[in-house]
Amino acid sequence: MKISLNWLKKYVDIKIPNDELVRLIGARLVEVEGVIDETHKYDNIYIVRVEKAEKIPETHLTLCQINDGESELIQVVCGAPNVREGMLAAWIKPGAIVPASVKEDAPFVIGKRKMLGKYDSNGMLAAADELDLGEDHDGIVEIDPKMAKPGDLLANVFELNDLILEIENKSLTHRPDCFGMIGFAREVAGILNEKFEYNDEKNELSKNDDKRIEIKDENICSRYSAIILEKHGELKKKYLTWEDCVLSKSGMKPINPIVDATNYLMLLTGQPLHAFDYDKFIKVGKTDEPKIIVRLAKKGEKLTLLDEKEVVLTENDIVITSNDVPVALAGAMGGESTMIDENTKNIILESATFSLYNLRKTQMVHGIFSEAITRFTKGQPPYQTLVVAETCAKMLEEGFKVSAVMDEYPKPEKETVVKITTTEINALLGTDYSKSLIVKTLENVGFLINDQNEYLEIIAPVWRTDIHIKEDVIEEVGRLLGYDNIKPTLPMHATAEKNANFELKREIRELLSKFGANEVLTYSFVSEKLLEKVGLNKNNSHKIVNSISPELQYVRQSIVPSLLEKTYLNEKLPVEKFAIFEMNKVYQKDWGFDSEKVPVEKNALGFVVAERKSKETAFYKAKKYVEKLLEDLNIMVEFLPLNNNEALAKPFEPKRAAEIRLKDEPKVLVGVVGEFKNSVRNEFKLAPYLAGFEIDLDLLLEKRSRKKELKFGIKKSEDLTVTTTKTYAETLTEVEKKYPEAKISPLSVYQPEGQEAKNISFRIESF
Amino acid sequence: MDEIEKLKAKLKEINARAGKIRELPVEEKAEFGRKINAEREAVLAEIAEAERKSLDTEVEPIDITAWSGVNEKMPEFYSAEMGSKHPLMTELDRVTDIYQMMGFEVMESRQLDDEFHMFDSLNFPKEHPARDGYDTFRTEEGLIPPAHTSTMQHRVLKKYKSRLDEGKAIAVVVPGRVFRNEDVDATHEHTFYQCEGVYVSKDCTMGDMLGILREFFEKYYKQKLNIRTQPGYFPFTEPSLEFLIEKPKSLGGKKGDYLEMLGCGMIHPNVLKMAGIDPTKYHGFAWGGGIDRLVMLRYGLNDVRNFESGNLNFLREF
Repeated sequence: MKISLNWLKKYVDIKIPNDELVRLIGARLVEVEGVIDETHKYDNIYIVRVEKAEKIPETHLTLCQINDGESELIQVVCGAPNVREGMLAAWIKPGAIVPASVKEDAPFVIGKRKMLGKYDSNGMLAAADELDLGEDHDGIVEIDPKMAKPGDLLANVFELNDLILEIENKSLTHRPDCFGMIGFAREVAGILNEKFEYNDEKNELSKNDDKRIEIKDENICSRYSAIILEKHGELKKKYLTWEDCVLSKSGMKPINPIVDATNYLMLLTGQPLHAFDYDKFIKVGKTDEPKIIVRLAKKGEKLTLLDEKEVVLTENDIVITSNDVPVALAGAMGGESTMIDENTKNIILESATFSLYNLRKTQMVHGIFSEAITRFTKGQPPYQTLVVAETCAKMLEEGFKVSAVMDEYPKPEKETVVKITTTEINALLGTDYSKSLIVKTLENVGFLINDQNEYLEIIAPVWRTDIHIKEDVIEEVGRLLGYDNIKPTLPMHATAEKNANFELKREIRELLSKFGANEVLTYSFVSEKLLEKVGLNKNNSHKIVNSISPELQYVRQSIVPSLLEKTYLNEKLPVEKFAIFEMNKVYQKDWGFDSEKVPVEKNALGFVVAERKSKETAFYKAKKYVEKLLEDLNIMVEFLPLNNNEALAKPFEPKRAAEIRLKDEPKVLVGVVGEFKNSVRNEFKLAPYLAGFEIDLDLLLEKRSRKKELKFGIKKSEDLTVTTTKTYAETLTEVEKKYPEAKISPLSVYQPEGQEAKNISFRIESF
Repeated sequence: MDEIEKLKAKLKEINARAGKIRELPVEEKAEFGRKINAEREAVLAEIAEAERKSLDTEVEPIDITAWSGVNEKMPEFYSAEMGSKHPLMTELDRVTDIYQMMGFEVMESRQLDDEFHMFDSLNFPKEHPARDGYDTFRTEEGLIPPAHTSTMQHRVLKKYKSRLDEGKAIAVVVPGRVFRNEDVDATHEHTFYQCEGVYVSKDCTMGDMLGILREFFEKYYKQKLNIRTQPGYFPFTEPSLEFLIEKPKSLGGKKGDYLEMLGCGMIHPNVLKMAGIDPTKYHGFAWGGGIDRLVMLRYGLNDVRNFESGNLNFLREF
């Protein structure tokens, strides 16, 4: 939403500098995303009178002599058909920038030039689009002689030297009242500690016709007001108006007097209006006089909108119908069949409120994001529908007169009353505001307050649909008086316990990175293709229905597949050798749900080591890392042949991988370490030196213990070589029996060419 | 090998038959084409599967209990210089360390949650437009990869509410990974990290909230800081604020430059009520802010996409 400061200043007396005002608005009302500085946008653009206008023969051009308030007339060639002697126009002086181009990379600077080889033309007479005050390019803008005289700066006459605030709409989701200038200004007054005075146009018209509106369900439309206007004269748009400028500065465009009036009032009050062509309306409904029925659409019902697109309606959409024939998608867009045009004689002016919940879905389903629906989806309150319609009728009175006023308001809103004490307010904020300050602050923005001595009875104004409980009132007080005026205090606390899971991860991170591994983070969502590549069943993954791309469609079941993808990327870079690891959460559908009825979550550690050129056996490197890790956590494990069919084991090659099981509880699987299946390696296009592991972090957390007693001072060290056909583990067990107190570490495995037996060497250190 | 040869022969035969489509009457062509394509697809899949199997059978077994391959050198760890910790994780450790010293326990956030924790327990009215602001992902079962760490608030309140009976405060921070359905560019990621804070006691005030947050950032940036607030809107806090700090000197900040660090507010009474805490006896405050941004600011990074890229040229810098 865009807010013009000059417009704001029409409603609030502002004595502080603009930058301070912007800061206060940001600190106490809404998030200001940006400030557009238009204080020089209209420099050197003057009001001039066209003193002479002569057609240049055989062209569409007119040779004009203009008066810019100085003594000499200036010659300008003008191409517009509406230029004529005596009119006041906007003149862009040579050297000035065309306002519509100020934001472009190369703003268009107007100069002096010769037209048709012989006519000097100095500057230009501007059309609305060139001034960035509309889309009209059919003729130049004409200025009302009552407003200005030649030589006046255009910017001064229309207050165009302005700052425009860009407001983050999301920060006002709960404040429909602030989507109109009056509501916004009321808040600014409150912030500045001033009482907001706005001469609300009194409701002079009252309902005089109740037969013609029928609301089928008050939950979808809390109030529907309509005024029928009958044409009695011409509404002729002649002069550039203040309202045109307001529309442009607010990001809308002047279109025609009727639409402009409805749009202007929406910007002013927050209440969107819609105008139907009366005669078309009754024709569609085949009635003599309008029969307006508001109802939910039927599934599959069709409606062609103003933008000529046909929409297929859903049972959630609210439609305005003429005797049950849909003519508008309520709150979103009018229908083509009842659109006003240059021949429109009579108008039905609609001012209503609709269910924000329905409209929110309508907005999503049909992709309509108009200024009107933006306001309706915040929940516009129903109190002002008729007044705003009436104001609109007044704006159009030159051409139309009121012939009927209708107003259907089945269940008028009740006022909200909150009882609260000053102590309660101060206790939550940590302040010591006096009762009188609190009362004044709230009264400034329209709250009514009855001081009952022990407590304050606070009546929320009708436009504050967001006030329900004490905390809502406390927010008002805190915000309007400035949260920045609250003194920060610090409750004292002892240091808290550490989180064991977090600490475990930190230790692992420290350890693995110290040994040259790189921690990575990869997405929690993976592709169907990735699951397929490693032989995982996609039906065991939770599937995202609104994923950004097929690459991110399934919640991952394990970490290693994501690491294999990153291994490819890094081998390509190329990085010659690396070990990457990630600790993150995994989910599998067949783990079911926990006691909170959410899917069972597990923490896993994945690790992959890869080298582009090595010919050695990668398995042993991955094993070395996992053994070191488990040893540091003092978890005793065994490496057993891989017979497991769990998801985490899928990518591993059974002949070159091992299950890691607890030594004391062989039933408990810690994880899997090994090389990957050739087919998997092929799918990922990876070099042969490749291995990894995936282990269960939750189990590590449960089973870890503090280190055993450390042994210092090696007394004796010897090397031992055993020639054997047994496995390493079997041989080690034998050696351990022989040296029960010693620390035994492996040295090498050597197998002479053509022999079956291997020489396994150990280092034996005693203490 | 035999099996693959057989399948290849079968494919050849199907291809030969496919050529006959030209001789068929027009009305039969489509049906015939469909059938023959289906057959071809099936055989191609079988070939792929057979090739995969044959690849996986040509494998030499190894001694999985050993420390090295036969006649190979003992494997060695890589050097410490090659290693690195992920900057986001280092930052989370740094952040939680400070909170822990300030008396906050740490509880990690989930990565797959439900509508109840993500919205209902946080006082989001059903179908309220505020739910749209979070651009949530959903699974087929209607589960939600959380869009904010506030998804843990209800759990924190329930788990620690006994502290209140003991006359103590609930003081917990919740770091975690969150997800938003957003297009990715240099400043937006669909996957990022947040840290949530929850504090409840008998007599805490908004002044305490501002004090704790300022204290955290002063410890984090190791200097005195000016703070500022803006009104915000979250259904689960009332009042709601955005919290800003004056840009620290270490980040090249000048006077008057402010950084939006997090959203915060006093916990809405309905949120306390739903967790079984009496809002007339206790109140609290909560906040949540991004971790990725802290890292970007610390190192002057300008592309958030690096974090989940797995690119070692980037990660080895940390």
